[in-house]
Amino acid sequence: MERLNRDTFVAVFLLLFCGVMFWASFDIREPDYGMLPPSAWPRVILTLMSFLSVIYLVRSLSRGPDGPGAYPGEPKSLLGWIAYWRNPIACFALFAGYLTAIPWFGMLISGVAFVFCLLTFLGGWSPRRLLLHAAVAIFAVGGMWSIFTYGLRVLLPTGEWTGI
Amino acid sequence: MIIENIADAFAHILHAKTLLLRAVGVAGGLIAGAIPGFTIAMAVVLTLPFTFSMPPEQGLATMISVFVGGLSGGLMAGVLTGIPGTPSSVATTFDGFPMARGGRPGLALGLGVWSSFTGGMISAVLLVTLAPQLARVGLEFQPWDYFMLVMFALTITASLAGADLIKGLIAGALGLLVRTVGEDEAAGIPRFDFGSEVLLQGFDFIAVLIGLFAFSQLLNDVRDPKAARTSLSEKGTMDARIEHWQAIKTLIKHWSVALRGALIGTFTGILPGAGGSVANILAYDQAKKTSKNPKEFGKGSPEGIIAPESSNNATEGGALITMMALGIPGDVTTAVMLGALLIHDVVPSPSFIAEQPVLAYSIFISFFLATIMMVIVQSGMLRVFVLVTRVRMYILTGVILGFCGIGVFAINNVDLDLWTLFWFGVLGFLMRHFGFPLAPMILGVVLGNIAELNLARALAIDSDLTHFVTRPWSLFFLIIALFSAVFPWFQSVRGKQKWTLFYLPGVCFAASVPLFMMGGIPRPIIACVLIAVGLWVLYRRWRNGWVLEAYEGHEIKEG
Repeated sequence: MERLNRDTFVAVFLLLFCGVMFWASFDIREPDYGMLPPSAWPRVILTLMSFLSVIYLVRSLSRGPDGPGAYPGEPKSLLGWIAYWRNPIACFALFAGYLTAIPWFGMLISGVAFVFCLLTFLGGWSPRRLLLHAAVAIFAVGGMWSIFTYGLRVLLPTGEWTGI
Repeated sequence: MIIENIADAFAHILHAKTLLLRAVGVAGGLIAGAIPGFTIAMAVVLTLPFTFSMPPEQGLATMISVFVGGLSGGLMAGVLTGIPGTPSSVATTFDGFPMARGGRPGLALGLGVWSSFTGGMISAVLLVTLAPQLARVGLEFQPWDYFMLVMFALTITASLAGADLIKGLIAGALGLLVRTVGEDEAAGIPRFDFGSEVLLQGFDFIAVLIGLFAFSQLLNDVRDPKAARTSLSEKGTMDARIEHWQAIKTLIKHWSVALRGALIGTFTGILPGAGGSVANILAYDQAKKTSKNPKEFGKGSPEGIIAPESSNNATEGGALITMMALGIPGDVTTAVMLGALLIHDVVPSPSFIAEQPVLAYSIFISFFLATIMMVIVQSGMLRVFVLVTRVRMYILTGVILGFCGIGVFAINNVDLDLWTLFWFGVLGFLMRHFGFPLAPMILGVVLGNIAELNLARALAIDSDLTHFVTRPWSLFFLIIALFSAVFPWFQSVRGKQKWTLFYLPGVCFAASVPLFMMGGIPRPIIACVLIAVGLWVLYRRWRNGWVLEAYEGHEIKEG
C-alpha cells in the first residue's frame, strides 16, 4: 500500500474497465459471414489498452507514492475536496438538472433557467448581478433558440407542461 | 472540366449568404482566438451544429473562416495584453508584447496581421498544388496501407499531444473503443449495448467531440472561483491602430523569415497531431537562430513576430492537405471538419478530390478568401475584439454551456445526444485532470470506423496478415509509427544517452527500405538520399567522437 499513488488507482480502474468490456465482448453475436468477426476489432483494442494499462500500472508502482507537493492546492479531506471542486460539480449537477427538466419545461425555458442559475452560482447574487445574469440568460439562450427554430428550422423540444 | 468545377465552386462560395457566413465566421474566430482559454478547436467544434443544415460547401467555408480567424485572433490578445489568446500565438507574445509596450502596438499588430496573411496565402498555394499530388500517391493505398496510416496518425498524435506517450496511446485506444459501441457497421451486429436501446444506437460522435473538448475545457476554466469571476485580461492597451504600410514594408524587408515560417507551418500541419502550437515555437526558434540580430529577440524584434504568425496560419493549409488528400485529419480542427463532411455523407479519401471536385475547389477557394477577409475584419473591428477579452470567464462558460445543449440536440433531434454530451463532458474533465491528452482520443473517435472498415476489407481480400509488413506503404507507415512512438523518450533523454545519437540515422535507414520496395525511379532516389543523410549524420558524430550535444528542448502542449 505504501507504493500506491494516484496513477496506480487510475491504472487499476482502467484494467477493471478493460476486463468488464472484454467480458462483454463475448456477448457479441458471431455471424456466419465476413472475415472479421464483429468482436475481433474491439478485442484487438482492448488487448492493446490492457497492455498499455499494465505498463502504466507498473510505471506508477515503480515511481512510488505521491510527494506532499505532487498536486499543489488539492485538499486531502472530503469537505475540502468538495469545496475545491465545487464549481465543476455544480456545473455538472445543474446541467444534469437542465437535461432532466427539458421534457417538462422545454428547451427554451430550461435553457434560460439553467444559464441563469449557473451564472448566479458562479458569479454571485447581488441584485445588480442577478439582473445582469437574467439579461444574459434571456438574450443568449433566447437568441440561440430563435436562430435554430426560425433560422435553421430545427424543431427543438417543447415542454409537456409549458408547450414552448 | 477543371474550369467548370472551379466555376461551380465559385458559384457556391461567392453566394451572398456564404460571404456573409464567412464574415461572421472570421469575426467569430477572431473573437474566440482573442479570448485566452478559448481554443480555436473549441470554436470550430461549436460552429459545427450551425453548419449541419447548410450545403457542405457552405458549411466548410464557414468552419474554415472560423479557423483562419481563430489563428489570427490569438495575436491581438498576445500583442496588446501579453496573454496569448491561443497556444498557437505563444511565441508571438515574446516580441509582440514588448514592441507594444515600447510604444509601437500598431506596428506589432500590423506585422502580426500581415504575417498571418502571408503565411495563410503561401500555405493556400501549397494546399492547391500539393493536395492533388499527394492524393495521387494516396490512390496507391490498399486497405492494409490505409489501416496502417490510421495507426500512424494515432501514434504520432499520442506522442506529440502530451508529455506521456502511454497516456496518449490509452486515450487513442479509448477513442477507438468508443466508436465500437452500437451496431457494427459491416455486419449490423450489436456490440456493447448491455441490453440498452440507448447504447444500441451508439454515440453520436459530434456530441462526443463537443463533450470531450468544449464541455470539459469550460469546466476546467471555472474550477477556481476567483479566476472565474475576473476578466480574461484586464491589463494592456486599448488604443491601437494597425500601421499597415509600415508593417508591409518591414515584412518585405524580412520576406525570408515569413517564407521560412510559412513552410515550417505548412509541413508541421501536414504531420498528424502537430499543429499551430508546435509550429509557432519551431518557427520562432529558427528565426532566432538564423537572424543577424538574435540578441534583439524578446525585446520587440519584428522577426520574432513575423516567424510565429506566418507559421501558425500556415498550419491549417498543411492540415487540410492531409485531410483532403488522404482522408486523415491533421489536427483536432480538421478532425471536426472531417466530421462535418461525414454528416453530409462525404467520406474523405485519396479519391476525394477526383470524386468531389466542386467541394474540393470550394475548400481551396474558401481558404484563400477567408485569409483575405481576416485582414479586412481584423483591421476594421480591432477594438471590439479587445473589448471581448474583458468578458468574465464564468459568463462565457454559462452562455456556451447553454449553447452546447441547443447545438448538440439540433444535429440529430435526439434527446439522448444531450446525455452523451454530458457523460463525455464528465469523462473529458476527468481525463484532463488525470493528465490524459484529448487529441488522440478525438482522432480515435473520428478514425475508429475507418480503421475497422479497412481492416475488414483487408482481411476479406486476403486473410494473410503478413501483408501489413510486406506491402511497401503499410511497412512505411508501420516504421514511422514505431519511430514516432519512441520520439517522446528520445526527446526526454536527447543529449544524455548514447543511443539518441543513432535515432535520426535509424529513421533514415529504416524509412529507405519500403521506399526501395516501391520501385520506380523517384522513390529509390529519395531512399538513396535518406541513406546518404543517415550516413552523413553518423560520420559527423563519429568525427565528434560520439560526444553527446546539449539540447535545449521546447515544451509542446496540446492546442
